[in-house]
Amino acid sequence: MMWSWIPSNGAQIWQYTQDHILLGVLSPLIGLAISLPLGIAAARWRWFYPPVLTIVNVLYAIPALALFVALIPSLGLSDTNVIVALTLYSLCIIVPNVVAGLRAVPEPVRQAATAMGYGALRRLVFVELPLAVPVIIGGLRVAMVSSISLASIAQLIGVYSLGYFFIDGEQRAFPTEIYVALVLIIALALACDLVLVGVRRALTPWVARS
Amino acid sequence: MAVHSLDLEVPAGKTVVLVGPSGCGKTTSLRMINRLVEPTSGRILLDGEDVRAANPARLRRGIGYVIQQTGLFPHRTVEDNIATVPLLNGWGRDKARGRARELLKLVGLDRALAKRYPYQLSGGQQQRVGVARALAADPPVLLMDEPFSAVDPLIRASLQDTLIALQSELHKTIVLVTHDIEEAIKVGDLVALFRPEGRLAQVGTPEELLGAPVDDYVAGFVGFDRGIRRLSFFSAAGLDLNAGPVLAADATVAKAQATGEPWILVVGDGKPRGWVPAERLAAMSGDTPLGQVRADGFGHTFPVAGGSLRAALDAAVISPAGQAIGVDEDGRVVGVATFDQLKAAIQAADRAGRTADEPGARP
Repeated sequence: MMWSWIPSNGAQIWQYTQDHILLGVLSPLIGLAISLPLGIAAARWRWFYPPVLTIVNVLYAIPALALFVALIPSLGLSDTNVIVALTLYSLCIIVPNVVAGLRAVPEPVRQAATAMGYGALRRLVFVELPLAVPVIIGGLRVAMVSSISLASIAQLIGVYSLGYFFIDGEQRAFPTEIYVALVLIIALALACDLVLVGVRRALTPWVARS
Repeated sequence: MAVHSLDLEVPAGKTVVLVGPSGCGKTTSLRMINRLVEPTSGRILLDGEDVRAANPARLRRGIGYVIQQTGLFPHRTVEDNIATVPLLNGWGRDKARGRARELLKLVGLDRALAKRYPYQLSGGQQQRVGVARALAADPPVLLMDEPFSAVDPLIRASLQDTLIALQSELHKTIVLVTHDIEEAIKVGDLVALFRPEGRLAQVGTPEELLGAPVDDYVAGFVGFDRGIRRLSFFSAAGLDLNAGPVLAADATVAKAQATGEPWILVVGDGKPRGWVPAERLAAMSGDTPLGQVRADGFGHTFPVAGGSLRAALDAAVISPAGQAIGVDEDGRVVGVATFDQLKAAIQAADRAGRTADEPGARP
């Protein structure tokens, strides 16, 4: 471990950290935006869920490198390529959570909302989705952490992230780089997770806490 | 679940209770009124209008709905839960919350609960919030589906009392579903008893069901002690009371013996202290004040004004002297009644009930 490497390469470390955040954090957020309508539709029309689930599971089964390469003809060697791939992966985690969250809304609550005079759309927006928030954010947390971890292999197709230091450190037999990147990725994942926990708490003051 | 050829008229401003075993269709019948269930045939008229002609959401905002599991919105505070329908109707938030606070008071809850979430309330409190929410937009009709079945008996009794008190003030048209015949008899102006297969067995006042069940099914459902329970509908006001055995604590043993009564009720400041049997006085000096004689308990009393013969009979059964102690509003003894006097009063009330044109008048 060569500590002096860190300050002398501060700018580069910071740059790749930012690149990493862009890939690892943006992807699951886009994934959430896509999962919400998919999950809502799947919760509402039961027949729609099995095909959706099959597709997102198959996508998740494609090895990351293969998916990056498969996207090169259309998206090239770009950030977009990686973001699309990571977004597709996140669907497999977030969509089932949206469905589970909506299905977990207690039937008496749904029935009471209907009987109070809520139409289907208002009930979804003002009753069902707010109640599904804890489960949806639970899924987003897993997707976010896995996406932040996965973003490092973008380096294999030349898209910069903290993964650069793994490859560079291995090629130069210089483990310091590898350790630093590893710690940063873990710290990044933990920090994002904490933010999401904070968001969930802020959105759900109504959940019983022990 | 299915309901067959149900023909039931719910009088405006009255409480009608649908009661019957599980699966008899009483809940289905209730849900047809606000169109949570659509009937396959027939019509449901609300104020003369077919409910199926109305927009469902708008129809429902004019019908309060209370269910067993409360169905409170876990993510909303108590006041916002109560304000649900006013907010849907486009009221401003402040006005709706003001209304919610009024309702909290009406259903007997502390205003301090307004900002709490449902998980912070007891089951009984949640159910009160459910009732408040149903009343928030002041709907003329209230549907209640087993509203008090999930709470313990003491809380249930207090919720039933609250409902009766509210109804005497608000005069809503209430349809309440329960499987508990006691509850039906207690809160209902009319009781509609269902058979298991979803047909009506009998509709009548609680007193009619207890006093004149149409068949064995109804008699069985209202229970073997229906005769005693029916006494709840007979006022104790007509009961003859004796003041003879009632003596103050400063009266003497000699005075007690002079009454010739087998039991003396000793009172202090007008309130009952206990029963003393005549034989306990036999060996005592005549000038001893009764207050110094050991007295047995007196069980409980019944209110002469507003009490029922059932309460009086119960007081007599539990008393060591076999006599019921009637008290006024302040708990002061008015007089006592023996079993013979109770029997005479019950028979008189029964004759009056059978000959009256309108046997349903509630005491």
